[in-house]
Amino acid sequence: MNIDEIFDFTSFTIDREPHIVLDDKVCAGCDVRGCTNCCPARCYTWSEAEQKMTFVYDGCLECGSCYVVCQRNAFTRWRYPRGGFGVSFRMT
Amino acid sequence: MSKEFQAIVVGAGPAGSSAALTMARAGLDVALVERGNFPGEKNMFGGLLHRMTSIEEVFPDFWERAPLERHIAKKGTTFMTDAASFHVQHETASFDRTPYNGYTVFRPKFDRWLAEEAVKAGVTLINRSTVEDVVLKNNRVQGVTIVGRQGKLSAPVVVAADGVLSFTALKAGLRRPGFNPDQMAVGIKALFDLPKEVIDDRFGLVRDQGFANEYVGCTGGVRGGGFLYTNYDTISVGLVVHLSSLRASGKTPYDLLNAFLEQPQFTKLLKGGRLMEYSAHVIPEGGYAMIPELYGDGILVAGDAAALCNATGVNLEGINLASHSGILAAKTVVEAHAENDFSRKALKRYKDRLDLSWVMKDLKGFRNAPKMLHIDRIYNEYPELVCSMMEHVYRIDGTPKVSIPKLIMREVKEKVGIKNAFSDLLTAWRAL
Ligand SMILES: Cc1cc2nc3c(=O)[nH]c(=O)nc-3n(C[C@H](O)[C@H](O)[C@H](O)COP(=O)(O)OP(=O)(O)OC[C@H]3O[C@@H](n4cnc5c(N)ncnc54)[C@H](O)[C@@H]3O)c2cc1C
Ligand code: SF4
Ligand code: SF4
Repeated sequence: MNIDEIFDFTSFTIDREPHIVLDDKVCAGCDVRGCTNCCPARCYTWSEAEQKMTFVYDGCLECGSCYVVCQRNAFTRWRYPRGGFGVSFRMT
Repeated sequence: MSKEFQAIVVGAGPAGSSAALTMARAGLDVALVERGNFPGEKNMFGGLLHRMTSIEEVFPDFWERAPLERHIAKKGTTFMTDAASFHVQHETASFDRTPYNGYTVFRPKFDRWLAEEAVKAGVTLINRSTVEDVVLKNNRVQGVTIVGRQGKLSAPVVVAADGVLSFTALKAGLRRPGFNPDQMAVGIKALFDLPKEVIDDRFGLVRDQGFANEYVGCTGGVRGGGFLYTNYDTISVGLVVHLSSLRASGKTPYDLLNAFLEQPQFTKLLKGGRLMEYSAHVIPEGGYAMIPELYGDGILVAGDAAALCNATGVNLEGINLASHSGILAAKTVVEAHAENDFSRKALKRYKDRLDLSWVMKDLKGFRNAPKMLHIDRIYNEYPELVCSMMEHVYRIDGTPKVSIPKLIMREVKEKVGIKNAFSDLLTAWRAL
């Protein structure tokens, strides 16, 4: 299976207001970055060249992994999307 | 929106809907608040609804009413390496008769059905509403605030049934702000489309019989396991991995899933299947040691929000515990209304009820299970040991045969060491 495909099979209603907000200064000083490999939706990307964390909330599956593994509490906001927004599972 | 109710339930998962339904049947005016467009829209799990005796009391004809896929007639475990697998399986006629021992279900359908049953009993279901905070008056929870549809709801008592991360319990000061990644796993799942006849043939099933299989050794050494469940005309496959171990491994869950799906014996099972959906969710797997405060002034915590999930390594039970705890919370609220006392002291009866129930007894009885699940050798060395031993047993290559006890000793020495094997056996014995 081409693993990139897997991310295209889930539906979302994207909110303009992000439900997770990161303080990327905290991430720049982080030595673990568990979020990058634990997030099942590839929302976190660390650029070694730019020393910068990019976080995209569009494909977030609202699983909670980043909330659990981040030990520096880099989140200035971590809540579920506002009612009616976010991931939508049809069967699962 | 601003309204008064006699009780508010946050979250229309199995815990919340069971609680709301029970309170409404006892005559209370209940609000059930759910952030999804409909209950279940946000919920995923592996796929097994274990038998729910408490729901069978509410619906004696449960298996005729609920939207179920297949009933589980066969259960198996497979030890797997990159190249080999060893499979054991249990099948009994009693699992093929009502009351069935378990079913496969889809949460967006099942949770929706259960919430609709609560609505039929008189519950006011408020969808598309994310609870943001609890309303405190004189240090007592007296309602909740909502984002999405902005608003506030008031009630003398709130049941937090908002799942594993329970922000409601957090805001009420009942759970600690951070989680221990050692006590949490993440489950990821892919759903594949296959015709019913193909599933029946491939897994040896007839009628609505279903098959549930767990895999050990398929997680690239990360603590965790795999699963495969047959639905009516789809198959659920996925992995559950512990977050501390995943973080330390540097591996991603989707790469692990991909490797699992590409294991040669596994590939055959999904052949021709079309990918339909991908989902993920964290699971509270810390067991008894993880349970937060279960009650406070004007608030009760039920289901995953209270970490009432039992992962023994053989079964992963959550929905049945959630539903049962929701019902016990509801009974306590009904009593509190009769006495018009919503204090911490009055709501403590919920914990007493839970302590006396199978929910707490199971969690207490298996409180060492998380320890066993943290033996890293289970996820690599033991599956290799089993598979390599079976290969020796079955292989005929002109060399003299070694007796099985000798084989076991040789493999144990080579792969894990006698001392380790002994200590692991002891841990497992204590856990189970
Ligand atoms: C991968 C995986 C596999 C599993 N496999 C099994 C299995 O095979 N069998 C089994 O029995 N259990 C299994 N479980 C566990 C089971 O899913 C849970 O124990 C069960 O869902 C808990 O039910 P609950 O009602 O407490 O919480 P949930 O089902 O999580 O429901 C919580 C509800 O609250 C809503 N909510 C959350 N926050 C808010 C808010 N702020 N405002 C409004 N609404 C909110 C959510 O949208 C959701 O509907 C599995 C779990 C996972 C993740
Ligand atoms: S683990 Fe936390 S602090 Fe570290 S990079 Fe990830 S989000 Fe940032
Ligand atoms: S909640 Fe899950 S899917 Fe969303 S960003 Fe965090 S880890 Fe990724």
